[in-house]
Formats: sequence, structure tokens, C-alpha cells
Amino acid sequence: MKTMLLTVLSALFLCHGGTAQAQTVQDILQSQRALIEQSSRRTIGPAIDAIADSGLAQMQSVLEAWQAKDMWQRLEDGFFFAAHKTADGSYELTDFESGAVIGTYPKDALAQIKPNSGIRAMIATALVRFQLSDPDMARRGEALDSIARNPEAGLLGPLRAAIPSEKDPTLLARKLRLERLMTMSYDTDTAARVAAITAMAGDLGVDFRATLNPILTTRIVVADAGVTPEGNIAATLVPGEAALSRDAAYALLVEADKAQPVLTPDARDAGLEAHIESGRIAGTPIAKLDTETARDAAYGALAAKGLVPLLVHPPDIDASLANHQFFSIYHEPSQQVTEAAEAALAKSQSRVVASQAIDLGLDALSLASIYFLAAIGLAITFGVMGVINMAHGEFIMMGAYTGYVVQQFVPNHTASILVAVPLAFAVTFAAGVALERLVIRWLYHRPLETLLATFGVSIALQQLAKNIFGTQARPLTAPSWLDGAWVINDVVSISYIRIAIFVLALMFMGLFVFIMKRTRLGLETRAVTQNPRMAAGMGINPDRVNMLTFGLGSGIAGIAGVAIGLFAKVTSEMGGDYIVQSFMTVVVGGVGNIWGTLAGALMIGGFQKGVEWLNPSNTLAAQTYMIVFIIIFIQFRPRGIIALRGRAAGD
Amino acid sequence: MNRSFIARNPSVLVFLALLALFTLVVSVLSEGFGIGLVSTSFVKTLGKTLCLCLIAVAMDLIWGYAGILSLGHFAFFGLGGYMIGMWLMYERTRQIVVSSLSEGVLPPTPEEIETGIAGQIFGVVGSADFPLIWAFADSLVIQLALVVLVPGILALVFGWLAFRSRVTGVYLSILTQAMTLGLSLYLFQNASGLRGNNGLSGLQNLPGVSAPQSVVSMWFFWASALALALGYLLVAWVVSGKFGSVIRGIRDNEARVRFLGYSVESYKLAVFTLTACLSGIAGALYYPQAGIINPAEVAPIASIYLAVWVAIGGRGRLYGAVIGAAFVSLVSSWFTGGQAPDINLGFYTIQWVDWWLILLGLSFVLVTLFAPSGMGGLVDLLMRGKKRGGNT
Repeated sequence: MKTMLLTVLSALFLCHGGTAQAQTVQDILQSQRALIEQSSRRTIGPAIDAIADSGLAQMQSVLEAWQAKDMWQRLEDGFFFAAHKTADGSYELTDFESGAVIGTYPKDALAQIKPNSGIRAMIATALVRFQLSDPDMARRGEALDSIARNPEAGLLGPLRAAIPSEKDPTLLARKLRLERLMTMSYDTDTAARVAAITAMAGDLGVDFRATLNPILTTRIVVADAGVTPEGNIAATLVPGEAALSRDAAYALLVEADKAQPVLTPDARDAGLEAHIESGRIAGTPIAKLDTETARDAAYGALAAKGLVPLLVHPPDIDASLANHQFFSIYHEPSQQVTEAAEAALAKSQSRVVASQAIDLGLDALSLASIYFLAAIGLAITFGVMGVINMAHGEFIMMGAYTGYVVQQFVPNHTASILVAVPLAFAVTFAAGVALERLVIRWLYHRPLETLLATFGVSIALQQLAKNIFGTQARPLTAPSWLDGAWVINDVVSISYIRIAIFVLALMFMGLFVFIMKRTRLGLETRAVTQNPRMAAGMGINPDRVNMLTFGLGSGIAGIAGVAIGLFAKVTSEMGGDYIVQSFMTVVVGGVGNIWGTLAGALMIGGFQKGVEWLNPSNTLAAQTYMIVFIIIFIQFRPRGIIALRGRAAGD
Repeated sequence: MNRSFIARNPSVLVFLALLALFTLVVSVLSEGFGIGLVSTSFVKTLGKTLCLCLIAVAMDLIWGYAGILSLGHFAFFGLGGYMIGMWLMYERTRQIVVSSLSEGVLPPTPEEIETGIAGQIFGVVGSADFPLIWAFADSLVIQLALVVLVPGILALVFGWLAFRSRVTGVYLSILTQAMTLGLSLYLFQNASGLRGNNGLSGLQNLPGVSAPQSVVSMWFFWASALALALGYLLVAWVVSGKFGSVIRGIRDNEARVRFLGYSVESYKLAVFTLTACLSGIAGALYYPQAGIINPAEVAPIASIYLAVWVAIGGRGRLYGAVIGAAFVSLVSSWFTGGQAPDINLGFYTIQWVDWWLILLGLSFVLVTLFAPSGMGGLVDLLMRGKKRGGNT
């Protein structure tokens, strides 16, 4: 009762406030005094509106003081002031109108206005309209953020009012966009809403789609056959189709009291158990009730006697469903608006799909470049030399750990990466040369045993890394200029690290082709690979060439390790994650050909992303299908995509 | 035929005699049937080791005799374990569900039991329905058949695809490794219907058997010993005849055997499938003793260790595979179990839990480089020495 009285009072005050001209801040505050003093979230709305709508510039500081609990009331006359505590514990009051200090009062002559958190949130909303025209650009931006987060019908007017005065082009564009979006939802004029929706149709922004979706929300309504319900009908639903399952449709009927509820097995059993008479239920011995049909029959017998509610049989469900119609009805009453929104959303959706395809392509490309990077060292040791090096993955790991160790000593990330890349090459080059000299060179004519011996090395290196660095993942931090992503639109974006890896992969590819085709080492490597004895006869030292080539392949794996470590965790097991994929890349692409490795990486990366796209929840499945695909692919092209022909093919 | 086969291969007889003696000794010392010197858990370890010896014999047939380095046989081993595990888990859960439902007033219906079992087994992966692959889980006979059939058919299809397109040597090794990786990744998914990375558990409990674990473990130990004996006999018989000569020929010079008119692919496929079936049986005996199977068991590294055992034991001689598997797996569990004494070097303490894998990896490199015939080679040396001694 008191609340109602206050509301009426405040409404009176409001009318009064609206008609009077040239009011002062204090006039308006006094007119809302009762509400402000009461400080209740449910009733404070009109007071805040009155203050915010007064048009007085000083009201911003009033609201801010109020929100910050700095507004105090002088008890002797009930006037409101901004107050702040002085050193001796009394309070210095400032007039809102003039900003002048009017004196210092002891605390017991004043009362603090304490808005609760709900009221403070309402004040914050009211403040937005002042902030929209704030001279400070950052605050205008924040105000826009706040509106975009929590759009309200009441903010549309202030937003529009703040547009003509906006000078900054970026903020102006944001204000205009937000105004369009809010027009769609909140304008009272249907034509204006339709115009706004149509104008933005096809837009890719998440905000646009997020604005349209609430307009297009529907509810499902049950009607008797032949009756068309009121409202903006979106569609007629047939139970059993995707939009409305039969169970859901029947549940709606039950909810609308148009059908009997279906008995759950638990309810049925409870009904049966409640009617046990000397070991029998409706004449049937309990022990016989061990099938569903027997229980249904017993329940039916009970129901026939009227002891339990009737059991609904499937035919009853069909009949009930056939006697009713189901409609989905837009919450939005205007049909013009929903039609325009549907059309606009469809247009956006088709563009979103196109953009997603581009995004997927970029993802696939970046995955392919990672595979390529991991495999390129193998393209040398396995592809060119024909040596199976199962410790290749561990060389990648060594490179990544080298990067991690360098970062412990060189804090600057850019510098540390610049140091780490050549160092990783040096470390893994040395490791590769050692492996070649100590193990592989004895096994050139026994490839299966190379595989086994390098497995041994791989196991030992992995455990060694675990002993040194522990089992937890170590970070290899990218320089800050590689943070972030290149955002093309709301759907398509690619992180800079992935671009960098792509560029790195291209550089390696160029380097590989250059070394193989344009340098003495490349020439000698190819000669030794094709025919070691004849190459030796031409004055080439096969031992030295094998050693250097193997070292080169291992060194490149080390650099790849630094690159991979930048976006994946550095662990002792990271090599194992790449080894099988790397071999697959080389085998699928075609052994002995760098273009084949590239094609293999593109194909595997593309295929994997494609499967992930079809089944986004499950990346494991994507890898499984990829392996199955590779096994089948090898059936058709056993020598890979780009097969060597003639003498170069070897055996 | 059989007599002459044994007569031609005295080593088979020696092996079987030693295996029988070993089984007898363990039985006498066991807790379940003997004086209790050997603990139940050690009986299980020994039983599991016998299963590993069986798969090593299979691996020796395919690698040591046919020259195909398969890095996928542990996948078949795991599949065998999964197949028997499905029945063990289903049946045990069914008994639990039935006994808990029987406490209700109404007797349980088949539907209620089924729903109860499904909820118990698949609750952990957020499902309450039986996947299609569990269709026969209630039948021990069918699941036992599947222990052989599933690995066999997978090997048949995979092998047919691979051998038909003449994938050989290291390429085949990598392809089998890819198959293993694919299978383990598949099993890791919750949607695989085999409980994702939870795997199947509680397999050590035989449904409907109230005997204590000390007795059950001995049953499995005997079954494993019997399976190893039969598997050894089978493989020894296979490699002793003409078939054995042909696959050895394929190993040494595939092209020449093909030109002699043999269908190399059929021989390879037969060996591949046979060894896959043997691996499945070994797995079906191993996992009830281990108690749990999960996809990590199928991971590619397990198949690599299998190759390590056979290589260290000595390829191309069946007792070598057995020696390698038994020696390396027992030593490995001794080192990784933390029982091996740490070595204090003053400035650093070598803890074998951390250093064992490095030792294993390096010894593997050394064996490959310097002793291609492995530990079995030592037996050869001894034999040769004895023969020479007998002649002079």
C-alpha cells in the first residue's frame, strides 16, 4: 500500500517536473526525494528516469556520485549534495548545480544515500546516455560496449540523439551499426524495423545474427484440428518430423490437458505394487510378472476395475496426435518483421557458410604446413636417402627443447627465437651426424633393422628428455608480435603463428629445392642415392655425403621442432605425435620428391580438416578416418601421389 | 607325419618338456594348489608372461620366418582382449544387476535387466544403450569365436589390401603402425562403444565362479601354458614343412619365389592372418589376468616393444622369441616396478625407473648392430659347440 502511494506521488511529482521550466538540479532531486530516500530497487525506476531525462548536464555527476555512494542528504532541509570525507572525520558538501563547496558538516548532521547493487546497475544504464556524448572517446566506446552487451528499448532514443554530435569516424560507424541493430529489435515503427533488417541482410557479423535470432524465436502451440491459433505463425508442425518429435508433441498435449499422460514403467510398477493381494496382482501371481507384456496386461486388468489410472496405448497416442494441430508461433507479433528477418538471416547464413568454407580452407592449409614442416626433414632422410629414421620425431622434440632452454637464458622472446633456430639446427645436426656415424651407416643394406635400431634410439631419447625436463609440458613462448590473429571477418580468421608457420614451410621448401638442385651437396646426394658405387668412382665420398645429408635432414627437423613448439606444448612425447603422420605424408606424397611431400601434406591436412568439419566434436575420429583413408589410398597409388618413374625410382 | 616332424625338431620337444616342468613347479609352489611360496600376483605375472611369449612366437613367425616386420600385432592382441572382456564385463554386470533387481517386489523383466546392465557399463561414457557391437556379448561361445575372428578378419582385409598392392618392407611396417594408431585412436573415443579411455575393467572376476583369485589365477596360468604349448607346436609345424620353406624363401628373396610360380601374396596373407589369430588368443588369455584393458594397451609403442622382445630373443628361432619375451618383459617389470636397487654414483643416483627405458633402447641398438641373432644366437653357439665336440 505504501509503495503504491509512493508511486502515485512520484508520478505526480513527475508530471510536475515535466511541466515546469528552468528547474535546478536540487528541484528535481527534491521532487524524487521520497523515492531516493526509500532506495528500493522496485520503486526507484521513475526517480532515475526523472533525473536522467531532465536534460541537465550536471545530472551526470549526480548519478555518478549516487552510484559511488557519495551522495549525502543534509538532514536539516533534506537537500542532496556530493560529499567527501575530510581528514577530521566530518564531511565536505559540494553543490551539484554550481560545483561549489558549501561547507563542512559533522557526520550526524547528514545521511548517506546507499544504493544497493540493483540500483547501481540501473544508475549505470541511465549514465550510458551521458557517456554516449562524453568528451572522452574511450568512455564513449565503453558506453557503446555496455549497450551492445545489454541492449534495452529505452536506450535507443539516447543512442540516436548521440549520433549527430559524433566526430570520430570509427565510433560513428559503431553507433550507426548499433542503432540499426537496436532499431530491428526495439523500434515501434514496423516499417523502420523491416527497413533496418533488409538493409543489413547478408551481414556476417555475429551481432547481427544474434539480434535476428531473438526476433525469430518461436513457441509451439497446440490447437484442435481445424482451428488456427492467433499470432504470427511460423510453420505448421507434423509430429514425428525433425522439428517436433512424437514424444514432445504428446507431452505438449498432456500439458495442455488434451490427453492422458503416458504411464512410465516406474509409475506402472508402482501401481502394480500398490495392489498386491495375497501374492497376486489382478489375479496374476507376482512371479509371472517377469515380462513387460505380462505387467502391461496386469495393469490393464487393474485399470479396468478402476483401481489405477488408464494405461495409454500407442494407438491412443496416434489418435490424440491426429486430432490436434501443432504450430510454431513467433514471439514477435509482426509478420512483416519476421519475414524480413528470415530472409535476411538466410542470406547471412549462406554467406556464413561460404566464409566457413574459406576458414576451413585456411585451417587445412595451416595444418598441411605443420605436417609439411614436420615431414620435410624426413623427405630428405627417408625420401632421398631411403633411411627410415624413427627417431625423427625425437629430433623435432630436441629442437623444441633447445628453444625452451634458450628462452631460459634469453628473456627477450624475439631474440630468443632468433638464437634458438640456428642453435636447434646445430644441435640436431650434430645428433643426426652422430646417429648416422654410429648406427645407421652399418645398416644401409638392412632397412628393417635401421627402423628397429632407430626405434631404440627414439625410446632412449624420449626417456632421456623425460629424465631431464620432467613429464610436464614446457612452454615455448612466441614473440608478442605473433600473438593475435588476422581477422578477415567475424567468421574467417587465422592466427599469426599459423601464418608464420606457413611462411616457414614455404621457406624450407625453397631451401630444400635450392640445396637439392643448385648446390654441390645436392648433386652429390642425388648421385650417391642413385648409385653409390658409381658416385664413388666419380670422386665423391659417399660416407661424407650420407653423413652431411642425414645431418641436414635432422637439422631441419630441429628447426621444425622450434616452430611446432611455438603453438603446441613441448613434451618428451611430442615427437611421437608427429612421426606416424610425417611418414604418412612422405609415403602418400611419393618417396623421393619434395613436391610429393607437399602434395601429401596438403591432402592429409585437407582431409583431416574436412572430416573434422563434418564431425566437429571429435578430432580423434578425424585422425582415425584419415588413417583408414591413407591405407585405402595406398591401394590405388602404392608409390604415392607423385611417383618417380624410370631409373630414379630405384628398385 | 607328426612323428617325423617331432623327430626332425628335437628343440620342440625340449621346449615342451621345459614348459611342462615350469608349469608343474609353479603349480606346486602356488598359493592356490601348492605350498604357497609363489604369490597369486606373481602367478598372474607369470601367466601374463606366457601369453606374451605366445604373441612373441606369432611375431617370430611373421617377422623372423616370413620377413614381414608387422608393427600391428599388439592391436590384434588387444582386440582379442576386448572381445573376451566384453563377455566378462557383460556377464558379471548382469549378475550384479539381476541380484539387485531381485530385491524389488516384482520379478525383473528382460528389458529392465538390459537397461540396468547398459546403464552400469556405459554410464561412464554418458550413454545408456548397448552399441551394436555388443550384440553377442551375452554369449560366451560367440565372443570366444570373435576372439579369433575379429583379429583374423581385420588382418585378412588389411593384409589383402596391403599385399595386393605390393606394399613391402619398411612401407608395410609403417602402414601396420598406422593401422595400430588408427585403431587405438578409434578405441579412445567414447563413441567407439567400448567405453573410450576407461576401457573394460573388472576382468579378473570370472562370472559365476566363487573360487578365490589364487585358484582362478592358476586356471589362467594353465590355460596360458597350454595355449603357448599348442601355439608353439602349431608354428613349429608350420615352419618345418614346405610352407615354411616357401615363407623363408619369400623373406630372403621375394622376387625369386614369385618367379618360381608361388603366389607370394597368398602365403603372406595366410601367415599374417594366422599370426593375428594367435595374437588374439594370447590377448584373450592375457587381459583376464591383467584385470583391465584400455586403448593405451593398443598404442603403437606396444607393438614396437613386441618387435624389441623378438629381436633381443633372436629372430628366426621360436625359442628365441619365447626367451626374449619372457626375459625382457620380466626384467622390464622388475626395473619399472621399483624393485631394482638404485645405483649411487656419488654425484648422481641412477634410478632404474627412469633409466631402464634408456638402457632398453640402447641395448636394442646394440643387439641390432652387433648380435642380429639375439639371445637365441647364444643357444646356437652352444649347440654348435656340442655337436662339434660330439663329432671329434
